[in-house]
Amino acid sequence: MTQEKKISVKKPAYLQNDILADEIREMMKSKNKLFFNIMGSIGAGKTFLLERIAEKLSPYFRIFVINGDIATTIDADRIAKKGVDTVQINTGGGCHLNAKLIKNELDKINVDDYDIFFTENVGNLICPAAWDVGAQKNIVVVSITEGEYVIKKHPIIFKGAQIAVINKCDLDGLGFDSQVLVEDAKKIKSNMDVLCTSAKQITGIDELIASLGIKIQ
Amino acid sequence: MHEYSLASAIVNQVKQIAIEHKALKVNKVTVSADPYEMIIPELLQDAFKIIITEIELFQNAHLELLKLPAEIICLECEFKGEPSEEGDKEFAYNFKCSKCGSRDTHLNIRHLTIESVDLEILE
Repeated sequence: MTQEKKISVKKPAYLQNDILADEIREMMKSKNKLFFNIMGSIGAGKTFLLERIAEKLSPYFRIFVINGDIATTIDADRIAKKGVDTVQINTGGGCHLNAKLIKNELDKINVDDYDIFFTENVGNLICPAAWDVGAQKNIVVVSITEGEYVIKKHPIIFKGAQIAVINKCDLDGLGFDSQVLVEDAKKIKSNMDVLCTSAKQITGIDELIASLGIKIQ
Repeated sequence: MHEYSLASAIVNQVKQIAIEHKALKVNKVTVSADPYEMIIPELLQDAFKIIITEIELFQNAHLELLKLPAEIICLECEFKGEPSEEGDKEFAYNFKCSKCGSRDTHLNIRHLTIESVDLEILE
């Protein structure tokens, strides 16, 4: 004879991901490492910004960058040329990185060999918002060429971010207005750092590094 | 697009629970989420059906999604609860605090949660 039994669970569906993400965060904290998750649309300039960050920081810190893309190793190859170690995760059809993918890569290296870790998430302003990768700070990059409504249209990812970067500000005034995006980001989350950068002209990069809490001695 | 990953996370957890309870079958899985979890219910259902196809324990299992109301935390007065009205026309998720009226509010997103599992077990 069989019977039906209702089991109360009350646990997040992401539980396994969240446990793993917390483990990564704790591990990084205990080892005094920094770990940042960079998210943003395709073409926002995430890779270019990471190249600029790597140029500034690689003389002083040992950096490891985990790039996420559907296919190719283009991003990881680009950033590796700036004197940091990189690895490319190809997600196939996956639209975001998750804690397990990050853990898999961290298990292949000696974490103690590095000071600062970055992930460049899959280019997407939707799904990465829902998946904790264990970073200490989430950074969302948008470029002013994505249109003046890009932040209003994707509020959730900004609600979960500590830093919003408005990139390609060198195009300010050429039919684009960075101030609209700065104000929108502030309205969506008043206690978020909002920065204007131009990876191309290397402006705002020092401010971004300072916002990450990294001090160059 | 992330519904497949979510469905997979649900099935993995429920499978563990079913094994722990020595269940013969999983009849129903009840999950809940608020409106801002960015889930398309139909896609979640489809993904769930695809994933369970080859899992004997889950044959005929049914997924029920309960929709929770939105919850906010006010940065002005620290109120936590349901917002007073739907979001600002311009800023969709800047809900108005039902206590002090501020729109400087954060969404307290209640992530997709497995509420309960109905299992068929031996008496």
